[in-house]
Amino acid sequence: MEEAARVAGAGVWRIALTVSLPLVLPSILFSASLIFLLGFELFGLPLVLGDPAGLLVLTTYLYKLTNLLGVPSYHLMAVVALSIVALTFPLVYLQRRLLRTAGRFAVIGGKGQAFRPLPLGALRWPAVLLLVLWLAVTVLLPLVGVTLRSLVSSWGEGVKLTEVLTLDHFRELTGYPNLVRGIVNTLLIGAIGGALSVVFYAIVGLAAHRWQSRWVSFLDYLVMLPRALPGLIVGLAFLWVFLFFKPIAPLRTTLFSLWIAYTVVWLAYGLRLISASLLQVKPELEEAARVIGARQRLVYRDVTLPLIRFGLIGSWLLIFMMFVREYSTGVYLLGPGTEVIGSLIVSLWGTGAVDLISALSVIEVGLVGFILFIALRLGVRLHA
Amino acid sequence: MPDLIAEKIEKQLGTAQILRGVSFQLQEREILALLGASGSGKTTLLRSVAGLEQPDAGKIEIRGKLVFDAASGFEVPAEQRGLGLVFQSYAIWPHRSVFENVAYGLRVRRAPEAETRQKVGAVLERLGLGQLADRYAHQLSGGQQQRVALARAMVYNPPVLLLDEPLSNLDAKLREDARAWLREIIKQTETSALYVTHDQTEALAIADRVLLLDRGLIQEEGAPEQIYGAPTNRFSAEFMGSNNRFEGKLAEVAGERGRLQGEGWTLWGRLRATKKAGETATGLMRVERLRLSDGVGADRLKMKLNSALYLGERWEYLFHLGELRIRVWGEERLPEGEYWVSVPETSLWIF
Repeated sequence: MEEAARVAGAGVWRIALTVSLPLVLPSILFSASLIFLLGFELFGLPLVLGDPAGLLVLTTYLYKLTNLLGVPSYHLMAVVALSIVALTFPLVYLQRRLLRTAGRFAVIGGKGQAFRPLPLGALRWPAVLLLVLWLAVTVLLPLVGVTLRSLVSSWGEGVKLTEVLTLDHFRELTGYPNLVRGIVNTLLIGAIGGALSVVFYAIVGLAAHRWQSRWVSFLDYLVMLPRALPGLIVGLAFLWVFLFFKPIAPLRTTLFSLWIAYTVVWLAYGLRLISASLLQVKPELEEAARVIGARQRLVYRDVTLPLIRFGLIGSWLLIFMMFVREYSTGVYLLGPGTEVIGSLIVSLWGTGAVDLISALSVIEVGLVGFILFIALRLGVRLHA
Repeated sequence: MPDLIAEKIEKQLGTAQILRGVSFQLQEREILALLGASGSGKTTLLRSVAGLEQPDAGKIEIRGKLVFDAASGFEVPAEQRGLGLVFQSYAIWPHRSVFENVAYGLRVRRAPEAETRQKVGAVLERLGLGQLADRYAHQLSGGQQQRVALARAMVYNPPVLLLDEPLSNLDAKLREDARAWLREIIKQTETSALYVTHDQTEALAIADRVLLLDRGLIQEEGAPEQIYGAPTNRFSAEFMGSNNRFEGKLAEVAGERGRLQGEGWTLWGRLRATKKAGETATGLMRVERLRLSDGVGADRLKMKLNSALYLGERWEYLFHLGELRIRVWGEERLPEGEYWVSVPETSLWIF
């Protein structure tokens, strides 16, 4: 499409403004609404950065309600939770509307298109510098900072870093059984829980797959909902479910409660991964099996699932990563036996144990980084 | 008893009426071609028979057994109809070897392993795939893939073989060879076949009988010679072959014969529609039926050579006579001038 404009004689900048930009406009609008939504969901950043300065957002306010009043005030929490839901609902609706109209802009065909780099000329080096600077500030600096903090006993003006280097924090960490359990639990819920979740998502995905009915779009809408809610609220909701629904109450103190909450929170994401794999399976491949005489269940077992097996492994790795870095959902479900790194960090933050937090953070970053590395080596596409 | 009966099949997709009441029967061991342009509904009809689409109205029977009846809401699912289907894209499972692709139909029927090996081996051998049993789809050529798809659909002896444009993904040379080969193979298996294609030559060559579909209706039905040589309506006359078409006035009607007249010409032809003298009518002639003649005679027109195109195996001349334009095929380059074009009365159809 850009090439058509080029042949028509338009310059590079003109193409960018009159062809490329309008084409990606729906995506930009969609991203904007997504980021707006994320703003309601963000919990960790406002807690760490905003709280000391007295800046409260809805999620941190919700989190601190109990501390503020001294008694668990479920009714107030429910009100805050509902107001967040009320705010996010119209946004989800808006997103769906935007996505629907986005369909008419879908021009990227199946044929391979060669992407031609845009010649920037003299602007090339400033552009590179800007990118490097951006990456340094947003990724490198925090990572290095946290890593460094985990390796020194203190820092500040007048402290020579080489003199305070220590591995004590990691050693100290092993002294707390709940922290060690947290690390183990994080791995368990990522690896085994993630795999179970992928199985669950695959079942839901297959059920909706090739099923032409109005219920599918309803289902679609339904699974978007948990994603529209802040993880903190979903965690809270599950806490209440486990507290007040007696038959499953004993599960509250097991990792199972956390797994259910995670699975629900990441349902939309997981389903998108699965359906992206399913979309790659041409309908004829399944129809061929049906005409030959295989019942639906056999078709899935013998054709569909084997064909998407790499997609499923990729989904597992991605879900693993998401589960490992998830923190807000587990905050309320945190208890002996259900500790995970992310939630531990949040609750430790209140106690000011920066040494331990940074050590835990490094471990978590290491975990996610490792999985990411494997995923990339296997050629998993991160954006479904 | 016919192998397949379809009665008054109707199907709507969205706002488009794809099939408007199509009925046909497929006799034992018969190859029936569903011929039509894209959008004529032929693939939808085939998929309805296979059970992959659900018609809105109509009835389908396979070997006397009802498999679909819209009126009573009865439907046998695709997997229980026992048919064989060859897809246009072949749809060979990429994660299974040729052997496992072909064996699948027997495996879901729980055939004993020894029988499966023997049957698959036999069908692969017959289709010339004996050496390729362990290969995967991406290691096969287009022609080989097409044969694997056919083997997979044939191995369990379905009562009816459904073929959806099975040759359209082959290149032209291969397609001509495959045509004869495919007809021979189907005839040997003694099953009947429903063959969907948009290629009229293919339909005429392979089928025993042709159904011409347009906009969801059967326009013409008959043996290949009949459908090409004696079409009963204007659509099928124009759809098939390469034609000269012109308008004129029906000057005279004598039983089945009619005289079409225009400025400076008059021709006798066969009346193929109920028309009265004095009405305007359309004349239609297959290009290959026309010849050049040496001189004056009945059914001949003196026309001026306007241009000549060299097409490789023949020349195509374009002749003018006033408003009348006629294409004729011949074998040599012609010098400019006027020629006598012979239009046999039996070659001119008047609609």
